[in-house]
Amino acid sequence: MSTELSRLLTDLGEKSSYDAASQCCRCGYCEQACPTYVITGNEARSARGRNQMVRLLIEKRLADPASARVGLDTCLLCGACTAACYARVPTADIVLEGRRMLAEKSHWLARILCRLLSEHRGLLAFGLKAANLAKRLGLTACIRPFLRLIGLPGLALAEEHVREAPLTFLYEILRRRPVAADPQWLYFAPCGPNFLYPRVGQATVAVLEALRGNGNFLDNGCCGLLAYNYGDVEDARRAARRNIVLFEAAGGRSPVVGDCSSCTAFLKSYPQLFLGEPDWRGRAERFAAVVLDAPELLRDAALPPLAGLAPATYHDSCRACHGQGLKDAGHAAMRRLAGPSYRELQESDVCCGGAGAYAFRNPGLSDELIRRKVGRIAATGARLVAASGTSCLIQLAQGLKKYYPECEVVHLSELAARAIAQGAQDGTQAGA
Amino acid sequence: MTHKQMLPKDIRDLQRMLPAGALLVGEAELAAYAYDATAQRARPEAVVLARSVEEVRHTVLFCRERRIPYVARGAGTNLSGGCVPLRGGVVLSLARMDRILGIDTTALTAVVEPGVVNLKLQEELARTGHYYAPDPSSFRVSTIGGNIAENAGGPRCLKYGVTTDHVLALEAVMPDGGLERFSARDAGCELMSLMVGSEGTLGVVTKAWLRLLPLPEGVRTVLAGFTSVDAAVRCVSAIVAAGVLPRALEALDRATVASVEAYNRAGYPDADAVLLMEMDGTPDEAAREAEIVERLSREHGATEIRSAQEAGERERLWEGRRGAYAACARLAPNVLVEDGVVPRERLPEAVRRIQEIAASYGIKPALVFHAGDGNLHPNISYDERDPEQTARVKAAGAQMLRACVELGGSLSGEHGIGTEKREAMRWLHTPRALKLLRDLKRAFDPEDLANPDKMFPEPGGSESGPLIAARALSPQVERLVSQVKECASLGRTMAIVGGGSRWKAVPPDCVEISSAGLSAVLDWDRGNYTVTVEAGVSVRALRAALAAEGFHLHWPDFDGSLGGLLAAKPWPRLRDDILGMRLILADGEVVDLGGKVVKNVAGYDLPRLVLGSWGTLGVMVDVTLKLRSSPRDVPAVEDPVSFAARAWQKKVKQAFDPKNLFNPWFHS
Ligand SMILES: Cc1cc2nc3c(=O)[nH]c(=O)nc-3n(C[C@H](O)[C@H](O)[C@H](O)COP(=O)(O)OP(=O)(O)OC[C@H]3O[C@@H](n4cnc5c(N)ncnc54)[C@H](O)[C@@H]3O)c2cc1C
Ligand code: SF4
Ligand code: SF4
Repeated sequence: MSTELSRLLTDLGEKSSYDAASQCCRCGYCEQACPTYVITGNEARSARGRNQMVRLLIEKRLADPASARVGLDTCLLCGACTAACYARVPTADIVLEGRRMLAEKSHWLARILCRLLSEHRGLLAFGLKAANLAKRLGLTACIRPFLRLIGLPGLALAEEHVREAPLTFLYEILRRRPVAADPQWLYFAPCGPNFLYPRVGQATVAVLEALRGNGNFLDNGCCGLLAYNYGDVEDARRAARRNIVLFEAAGGRSPVVGDCSSCTAFLKSYPQLFLGEPDWRGRAERFAAVVLDAPELLRDAALPPLAGLAPATYHDSCRACHGQGLKDAGHAAMRRLAGPSYRELQESDVCCGGAGAYAFRNPGLSDELIRRKVGRIAATGARLVAASGTSCLIQLAQGLKKYYPECEVVHLSELAARAIAQGAQDGTQAGA
Repeated sequence: MTHKQMLPKDIRDLQRMLPAGALLVGEAELAAYAYDATAQRARPEAVVLARSVEEVRHTVLFCRERRIPYVARGAGTNLSGGCVPLRGGVVLSLARMDRILGIDTTALTAVVEPGVVNLKLQEELARTGHYYAPDPSSFRVSTIGGNIAENAGGPRCLKYGVTTDHVLALEAVMPDGGLERFSARDAGCELMSLMVGSEGTLGVVTKAWLRLLPLPEGVRTVLAGFTSVDAAVRCVSAIVAAGVLPRALEALDRATVASVEAYNRAGYPDADAVLLMEMDGTPDEAAREAEIVERLSREHGATEIRSAQEAGERERLWEGRRGAYAACARLAPNVLVEDGVVPRERLPEAVRRIQEIAASYGIKPALVFHAGDGNLHPNISYDERDPEQTARVKAAGAQMLRACVELGGSLSGEHGIGTEKREAMRWLHTPRALKLLRDLKRAFDPEDLANPDKMFPEPGGSESGPLIAARALSPQVERLVSQVKECASLGRTMAIVGGGSRWKAVPPDCVEISSAGLSAVLDWDRGNYTVTVEAGVSVRALRAALAAEGFHLHWPDFDGSLGGLLAAKPWPRLRDDILGMRLILADGEVVDLGGKVVKNVAGYDLPRLVLGSWGTLGVMVDVTLKLRSSPRDVPAVEDPVSFAARAWQKKVKQAFDPKNLFNPWFHS
């Protein structure tokens, strides 16, 4: 049995999970914000329905608790419901509490992966590189049926999804940077940029150097979100403590900047992990207070519009717009970077269906979501779409390739880095 | 009525009839269909997610065959317990029937499936420069089907009317499984009006034809703070009397303003009452009306006045109003949203009584009201997990509704009766009127399967009669009543005659019952813009009398008696102005239908149903009409031919006049 958090930090203050779930008065105001409800028309796939399920689980009023599993597992954890809710009921956190109550034990693979990500990066890197090589050699296709057989169709899909795993990881590259004595910023490398998209992290670091001067790579482990969502809360806490300690050792003052919105949103929610531990809670609060997501960094940055950019649009990563309230920030940055090429995206803040491992666990719903998303993107005529979350980058790359190959996806930081490079060429100086 | 529990075989058979994924039976999934936006809960035994009319029909037929109750459901946001399946059975969700089938901007109509979300329709329409007027605050999520079933209102309905005023026709799967279409233009009694607001108890709406309006070019919003609720309401009356009909006229009391300020700092004035008024039309009209409203506000002692024209600025003025519910929803897990309505002039008194009741129960409601039409919403925060608090809040809410009824108002302006107010129906309706409502339900749904246990009090219980005594009968009406009673006891048929302009010869085997000579004005409420007049009055004479004092009916010119006109319904839009009606039923009992409030959803809309019934349902004794403050020329219309009753009209007849005593030739 994986343990629950039991207490949550809500917009209305600290509450027991039970009180938090009971704060949902079933007004239904969030119904149309919930992508899974909109797609299925099924109340058991809505935020309101999910809150009721968890409440009933806590009240022990479901004779068959497992009947709640699909309802809870299909939640994207996108937080759109919370943004629409007057009481800001934290449905995603409540859903996770429900999942934890239902899980006999967390998935062995998820646990191993979490440990690897936060504690044994070298080992993981080795494994990934081996797998990647195997993939290039066409070997992994052979293990897909095996993965399906052992009940991991999601992973089989994941294996199909990721086409561009690099052979050098971000942390290996960033470790070569000189260490600044008086860092103005600390770069937190989320797992996505670290292991899948080093180019994103490199772009963010280039932007940071241009906008904020000297800074250092935190050389961090996983933020713990993977453990929080799919594994064990205790593992998430362990990851959080390790990162907080790293931050404190690095001076404990400079802004911590990350470039995966799911990750930064989770870093900002560290205090919730330590509600019963006043000392750690305080340290987590000090840490969370200085975390910045890439769109935040770029909101007011005076960057020149990119010359000769094809029509470009912006997709709001859920954990940026709903999780951190950064919708305006991302759009403002994008509008400035794209200049006249900017195209407004309808439903830009509706989840693309990437949502961490969601695409792997609920391929049907996920595909429906990405088809809608790509349809909206195509309607703008954009040839480029930017986002700020790793899952979005994977999901959009996959979806665009399948349904609208004329368009490519990049991270917002990459565009900013291009603008800076272009500025350097033009001799203009970028500044914050 | 006994209902069956569903057996495993029932589930299997139902499954076989439906496509994969359309039937839910898992426990957690059933639990997700146990509620609506009230604190009520009851789990269904199965949920059908219908995607087509055929699936709805199959489900209804299946339920009918096996005597399984079913409850239609849209978004489940109603505030009256309307879609809680008290007896289990099937919840029939229409959420997947969400296609907009057509928008015709020339004919100004839209055709939609019931699961279309109000906002989605508005978004589609906005692209064409049009809109659909009903705008319940839940419009972002609630469905057109649910809006129709509850006859939902919204801030905009002061000027443009509630849902029923914007429905042109409906298609519904009736309790017998048949598919029927009803339109406001149908000859004979007006079944479409009966279906609107019937809370899913008479059939499942599967398609609706809606009326569209062009988006106004100019909109002005004015916010004003007053030193008392009385002053604010006096100002509202003055605005209406000045011939200005704002599209929205919302009010908040001091407590509400305080709680909203604490929540979102909308910057509302520190005042005992705040009015938020919105005028639309051409830019000039809107500007002119805004000026009048501002001037009248000043004259009525407004302490602070703010005005806005740009969409963004206007939205900021609305923030406080919109935040009222939000603020309550953050104070405690649950919010009881009461929904009383009183004649507008009685609003200050209603507010005082509600505040007294609140104090005596130790609760702090936030009072929001649609001041233009007398509709009040006390919002009371509580925690349903605390039984004592819940009981106290419910009791207080009930007392507030009682107060509204005692002030000549009604139990619900827009949220419906559902389960929450079914017992309170006794405060408003006589046992005979309740029996009439139940008879109608039985005529339509003899097995009582369509959303049972809603709207009417449980049979039995105290039949003490309504809170306010009915107006006494005049000697002349007494005579009519005894005439009808006598005929009824002898089983003699009767011919109801109004001014006599529409048919001349009374069939020889019928006793003539004439409302000729019944022409008194019984209640002319100048502040409330309503008049109650006897049905024999000449329409032209009535209009002349009203016009002499600056009151108007927006009708074409008609001659003959009022009763005769309404019974013949030569012009469908007469329905817009009918608020109430007193009827002698075929057993000689007298019932009062509707009332003198402009918004009223306490029971089926019988006053409108009776329109066009050609005297087959009862003897119209008097009628309550909505008045306007400015004249308007409406082109003349031709009288339609009388009607031949359709099957569902015969069922209405069966409920009203089972022995076919009134004007029997229509149903022979
Ligand atoms: C925050 C909030 C604000 C609100 N503001 C307003 C407001 O301003 N004005 C207002 O009038 N109401 C308001 N409401 C109440 C509610 O939104 C309305 O009653 C709305 O019309 C219900 O629509 P729905 O789709 O949710 O219907 P549901 O709640 O699903 O159903 C309502 C009733 O209609 C029946 N029904 C549903 N669909 C059909 C169908 N196709 N055929 C036959 N019967 C059907 C159901 O059986 C039930 O009895 C508010 C509610 C909330 C939570
Ligand atoms: S989560 Fe919030 S908005 Fe959604 S039903 Fe519950 S209270 Fe209403
Ligand atoms: S987090 Fe997203 S998917 Fe989950 S209930 Fe909320 S809106 Fe729906």
